[in-house]
Amino acid sequence: MVTNVNKVDLPSIEKGSSLSQDAIARLRRNKVAMASLYFLLFLILIAVITPWIAPYTYDAQNLALGAAPPSADHWLGTDTLGRDQLTRIMYGSRVSLMVGFIATAVALTIGVLWGAIAGFLGGRVDAVMMRIVDALYALPFTIFIILLTVIFGSSMLLLFLAIGAVEWLTMARIVRGQVLTIKRQEFVEAAVSIGLSPWRIISRHLIPNVIGPVIVYTTLTIPSVILLESFLSFLGLGIQPPASSWGSLISGGVETMEEYPWLLIFPGLVLTITLFSLNFLGDGLRDALDPRASKD
Amino acid sequence: MTNKTLLTVENLRVLFNTRNGQTIAVENLSFSLRAGKVLGIVGESGSGKSVACYALMGLIPSPPGKIESGRALFHGNDLLQMSEAELRYIRGHKIAMIFQDPMTSLNPYLRVADQLIEVLRQHKKMTKKAAREKSIAALMEVGIHDAAKRIDEYPHQFSGGMRQRVMIAMALLAEPEILIADEPTTALDVTVQAQILALIKSLQRTHNLAVIFITHDLGVAAQMADEVLVMEKGRLIEQGTTETIFKNPTQDYTKKLLSAVLTSAKPVPSSAKLDKAPLLDIKNLQVGYASHSGSIFNRIKKFARGVDDVSIRIYSGEILGLVGESGSGKSTLGRSIIRLIDAQSGELIFNGENLLDLSPAHLKNMRRDIQMIFQDPYASLNPRMTVFDTLAEPLLVHGVATHATVLDQVNELMDDVGLDRRFIRKYPHEFSGGQRQRIAIARAISLKPKLIVADEPVSALDVTIRAQILALLLELTQKHNLTMLFISHDMSVVRYLCDRVVVMQKGRLIEEGETEKLFSAPEQEYTRQLLAAIPTL
Repeated sequence: MVTNVNKVDLPSIEKGSSLSQDAIARLRRNKVAMASLYFLLFLILIAVITPWIAPYTYDAQNLALGAAPPSADHWLGTDTLGRDQLTRIMYGSRVSLMVGFIATAVALTIGVLWGAIAGFLGGRVDAVMMRIVDALYALPFTIFIILLTVIFGSSMLLLFLAIGAVEWLTMARIVRGQVLTIKRQEFVEAAVSIGLSPWRIISRHLIPNVIGPVIVYTTLTIPSVILLESFLSFLGLGIQPPASSWGSLISGGVETMEEYPWLLIFPGLVLTITLFSLNFLGDGLRDALDPRASKD
Repeated sequence: MTNKTLLTVENLRVLFNTRNGQTIAVENLSFSLRAGKVLGIVGESGSGKSVACYALMGLIPSPPGKIESGRALFHGNDLLQMSEAELRYIRGHKIAMIFQDPMTSLNPYLRVADQLIEVLRQHKKMTKKAAREKSIAALMEVGIHDAAKRIDEYPHQFSGGMRQRVMIAMALLAEPEILIADEPTTALDVTVQAQILALIKSLQRTHNLAVIFITHDLGVAAQMADEVLVMEKGRLIEQGTTETIFKNPTQDYTKKLLSAVLTSAKPVPSSAKLDKAPLLDIKNLQVGYASHSGSIFNRIKKFARGVDDVSIRIYSGEILGLVGESGSGKSTLGRSIIRLIDAQSGELIFNGENLLDLSPAHLKNMRRDIQMIFQDPYASLNPRMTVFDTLAEPLLVHGVATHATVLDQVNELMDDVGLDRRFIRKYPHEFSGGQRQRIAIARAISLKPKLIVADEPVSALDVTIRAQILALLLELTQKHNLTMLFISHDMSVVRYLCDRVVVMQKGRLIEEGETEKLFSAPEQEYTRQLLAAIPTL
């Protein structure tokens, strides 16, 4: 790979850094994006060490207490069964973040490759690949999930699989559309006439140039996946009570929002801040990865 | 004909606020336009020639644009102080504009009739019937013969030249006093350009119009203008009658512009040996574009001929010019040699092998020997790869360089095309158009190919840059003993660079011959037309 040649010693050359180094430097200059990144890292850290730091256990009930508003003992209040809300949000973040990131990563990988290959090769290959996408689109999602649950039972792995199987479709379409316009540009034709292999053209010349819309769509996918998880859990796939996730906390909170608003507000707030952070970070990454956006 | 002053511009200064701070687009520009005269504004891209005129019309997007100071007096009123409503009245009635690209300046979803009648009803309060009749008359005047019928057609049914005629008719409908023409023929073929220029000139006389003619082409300016302004980087460099500017320029920049206009033949003789076997022998090549119609069960495949039964021989060491207008199939031919487009039939014999029969593995090897230089240096470089990556890629993929030697080889390429070695870590957007084209040339010669197909490599460049790139191409072909197929619509460039020329029209080969012979004594009528259409100083 050409990127390896960056290891060659390059004295007296202006801007002696690779694209990834440039990108990191540019990202560092974007304060909002960096703050978002640190917040997300903080969330992930909390999620990892929750079992050791959580003030209660996620299923510890206190029926005498019932749904109590925030207090010194329970910072974010308790739910109808008297379970500590902070603890449940912390445990919930383990499920939600894992689902959000892993399912999105699955969708991203399949979708980008599928779309780029279909768009670049064109013709019959494209037609067949995109008809497969259409067919999967047409499959009723609920029935698909119920079918999976009936056959395999409920597990986290299946949850990733089910979400990934749906989310990559839109990604593939977006990427294919972008690739169709980019592959007509002369630099792709130049790459063909140099004698590069199709795979190299896709990976080096096409995918880097569709990264903008891909990042934007990814930052939108993560929150929607987090919410999708609560729907799947409701259908019996994914996590089951008393375990918690942000999605299930929010849908539970909606039911009691008039009597106990804090049950909706706090999980909603955490999800919203996460969503904003993802968007800011996504914007920052998009700019950082585009050399044209850099110059001071 | 009275020559009173219609428009006086004083100390116009236009700024653009960009993220890199302010750029001055127009600096202290003053000029005056007299009734019935043509004022040519000449300059390269970024000289502010268009911005100045757009500012007069209130068409500068603001922000980021800002008219900082100046006056533009039209009948005693300052255009720059007018409200949007007043300006709208001026734009329709008094000052009309025609633009560069006739393909995008008409609404594709409306019939030509609707677009013309709309203008009249907006400005003249005419009945529909009267407006239609007046529109037809206007179309007749700009040389659209069966106007009564064609007025009900859609823009896509008109050719580029015809659309520009429609635009001119539309601009003149409201009987303006001033016509601003912003590069009106740049997107057109040379023979069509000649017709449109003649049309504008004759309309200007019959309507006694004052015309501001913006162009980068000195030949066109010489032909059209009574007076000429030369602009560079937002500043007025020189101003005077066309004759004095072209005969006795006083400023260095003007002299530089004039010297970049190519009038000479190729400065070095060809080293090609025409008696030996040709490097590339194109035999009866047919290239078409397939289009499908009908349902999926009943596909009808149609071929539109791009290249029709063309045979050309390219000899080692020569630069062969391939000229023709748009739609002549010249680019299609070039791309089918590179195998970017598949040919339907015929042979491309290169080194004794038919390029059309090669297996994918052979094809990859062959690609080392035939490279291409593209027209648009802004599109032909991957915006996310540094110059180093762009130039190293072909070397590494073909095993011409190892990781240890690649830096040296890339540096040599940079020297070859006259770029500073220190720039190899920069991205394409940090370079100017001319520098980018140098990078693209470096990529094309990196594999030391035997044949280079250059598809209009200088037509997107400014004249002074064009001269430099042509000199570079000439130098490189000598140094590396390259053979080149040089595709161009610009006859003067072809004359300067090429040893032999082939002329194509509508997919067919029309004429072939040594450059000087073909230029002095063309045999075919079409070639004569092409040569006659070149605007000269």
